[in-house]
Amino acid sequence: MIDEHHEELAALYALDLLEGAELAAFETSLAQNAALRALVDQLRQASTALALEKSAPPPSPALRVRVLASIDSLPRAAATPAPVGVSQQPLAPVVSFNAALWTGWAAAACFALATAYFGSHYFTARTEATLLRNDAEFARTESQSLQQRIEAERILNSNYIAQLQKSGDLANLKIAKLADLLGNSPQAVAIAVWNPLSQEGVLTVEKLPLLQSDQDYQLWVIDPAYKDPVSGGVFTVDEKGVARVSFRPSQSIKTAATFAISRERKGGSSSTPQGPVIAAGTL
Amino acid sequence: MNSAPAESTPPADVHAQNEADAALLREIASGDRDALARLYDRFSRPLFGVASRILRDATEAEDVVHDVFITIWQKAAAFEPARCSALGWAIALTRNRAIDRFRTRRRRHEILETSAPDDLGYDETAPSAASSSTDLWQKEKATAVRRAVTELSSEQRNALELAFFSGLTQQEIATRLHEPLGTVKARIRRGLLKLRDLLADRL
Repeated sequence: MIDEHHEELAALYALDLLEGAELAAFETSLAQNAALRALVDQLRQASTALALEKSAPPPSPALRVRVLASIDSLPRAAATPAPVGVSQQPLAPVVSFNAALWTGWAAAACFALATAYFGSHYFTARTEATLLRNDAEFARTESQSLQQRIEAERILNSNYIAQLQKSGDLANLKIAKLADLLGNSPQAVAIAVWNPLSQEGVLTVEKLPLLQSDQDYQLWVIDPAYKDPVSGGVFTVDEKGVARVSFRPSQSIKTAATFAISRERKGGSSSTPQGPVIAAGTL
Repeated sequence: MNSAPAESTPPADVHAQNEADAALLREIASGDRDALARLYDRFSRPLFGVASRILRDATEAEDVVHDVFITIWQKAAAFEPARCSALGWAIALTRNRAIDRFRTRRRRHEILETSAPDDLGYDETAPSAASSSTDLWQKEKATAVRRAVTELSSEQRNALELAFFSGLTQQEIATRLHEPLGTVKARIRRGLLKLRDLLADRL
């Protein structure tokens, strides 16, 4: 039985709309749940129906030629070797040699051969460049996804999440990855895990800049029900920029849409952020 | 007098068609160039339609379709028929590639400023006559899909079309539709589940 929350995540995943920690957490669930994987496959297949809804014009006839020319220039991974040296075409009739007549044909043939040669090289180079670019993009995406998954799994496996699970089902937890807004700490990682039932959460940060002794970081929960952000409390980081804090906002949160971290004077702000907002993330 | 819709595609035919497509992919995986040419004749039009609708540029859409067929040529052995149809797989490849290109081409704020939410379709007057069995097959599928999509609420349809074709994030879709994020997520979930149920055995 798949609950509504996971159905929703499956639909968003099928449409490639999950990102960051939410994506990593869902892929972790997906790896452990065959029913969820089947649902994702069904929804992905249903989503492709949207592509067939409207009648489409055909591409230009030149595209077919280009595609086939490109694959001819690529090595075939499991291809059957093409017959060599055996022509399937009927032989042309032999005619007497006429130099004047054949000069034009020879020039045309040279031109055709040159065109074919350079055209083939062009398509080969273009296709290889495309494939290399795709491979690089794929590797980069995989790397990012892997890093995010490791981060999310580490956090989800931590004792802090175990504490949260005591008061609520894991399925109810909402996860937000906060991104650096100022550009001065791009290595910083901040993940907020929020349990709307118990009204408490855990914030884990790493590689945030050390603060001066008269400063604190302050967590804010942005709930559309309130005009101002709701404070989630203040915290500092150790010399490695690490902090793991449990938080309970100062007011009841109806819909936690966004989490943000600001840099404040020691003790934090009692109303709205007074210092710069350094990171924010949406559930 | 009511008559049965002549354009409806019997599920048995759909399964046979899907099996034929899967067989073509197996032939491609073994290096059969002619099989790729046949697959091109079957799939190029819907794939070009997807890429055009996302990119709104015929030249770029053709580049994407070209790259997708190269990928199919090289990765056909990776296709898993148990998970989706060959057409579904090819559409997913095309969509991902077109959205990547779209996102590279424009920064997000430019997308929000220049994309028109109610104009995600391409020219409906484009030629679409059923001139071959392939065209007829696609036309029949399109008819079944169109009928299913009209059974969605307009809110669900808008959310799904933006999600599939726009390349926007969840939050950007919510902003575009002037709706809370939770509402948009719920519409996507309900719409996609309904579409799955309506199109069972028809894709």
